[in-house]
Amino acid sequence: MVSRELLDACRRGDPSAFEEVVRLTHRHVYTQAYRLVGDRQEAEDVAQDAYLRVYRGLAGFREEAQFETWLYRIVANAAITHLRRRRSFGDLLTETEQLSFDPAAPMEVAEETVDRDALARALEELPLSLRSVVVLKDVYGLSAREIGDEFGISEGAVKVRVHRARKRLKERLLGPAAAAAT
Amino acid sequence: MRCGEIRQLMPELSEGELHEAGDVEAHLAGCAACSLELARYRTVVMELTALRDVLVEPPAGFLGRVLAEVPDRQWRALIHRVASDDRLQHAVFSLGGAAVGATAIALLWWRAARRLTEGSPNPSGAHETETA
Repeated sequence: MVSRELLDACRRGDPSAFEEVVRLTHRHVYTQAYRLVGDRQEAEDVAQDAYLRVYRGLAGFREEAQFETWLYRIVANAAITHLRRRRSFGDLLTETEQLSFDPAAPMEVAEETVDRDALARALEELPLSLRSVVVLKDVYGLSAREIGDEFGISEGAVKVRVHRARKRLKERLLGPAAAAAT
Repeated sequence: MRCGEIRQLMPELSEGELHEAGDVEAHLAGCAACSLELARYRTVVMELTALRDVLVEPPAGFLGRVLAEVPDRQWRALIHRVASDDRLQHAVFSLGGAAVGATAIALLWWRAARRLTEGSPNPSGAHETETA
């Protein structure tokens, strides 16, 4: 997506190179921000903030880390900062996981396949505390430890939320489990 | 292992790694319902991963607004604007001229004030001379 040469040009202070990085990544950055905060205007604010952080942080960016992974972490960090401002972070961590959907009423999708639009909608319906961690873990591939560091919670707490989110999504999209045999 | 125990582990097992692989695999090999359930979880996780490339279209003008916030670009845009607008150029040159003029006046004032201070008798200096 973003070449090493382009990153080198950015580090040398070439402003057109940074603009090219923005051009190449802005859809991905906006999408990630939107999936994390769930609001179009707020996603734009998060993306703006993320690019300022990228701009300031590029000089210290270590080549051995994948640029995309680094970018995902920056967007995640900007989104978390935004969510902290928007509401008390305590709410985000201990949010009552109200059921905004009935898990017993799965969406109309074909058996054993998952429509991506339906999945995206089901994600949006998840409580923020579950959605934010499952998006970072399963969609963007951050480790439980990295997510825990970002949120200031333990790795175990991240895993519990990811597992709850997967269960909710599975039940929402494919229905409850078949009767146990044993 | 029983179905209930396996089902508890399913959200974790869906990532691909089988913990206590022997017991879990042995159960799954003989239990069609749990195998199906694990396949469903894996489908959801796989589709979540694929969602990374399903992009949400940003609102119109988003890219332009982001680029306008790039710090270097802001300076360049300002310079470009001044360079291409005669009225702005006059305003900038006038402001610059006024600033240079004000600095020159301030310097002259300061030098004149200094000269006056140096020319006037210093009471403490006079006392020192008398003492010497």
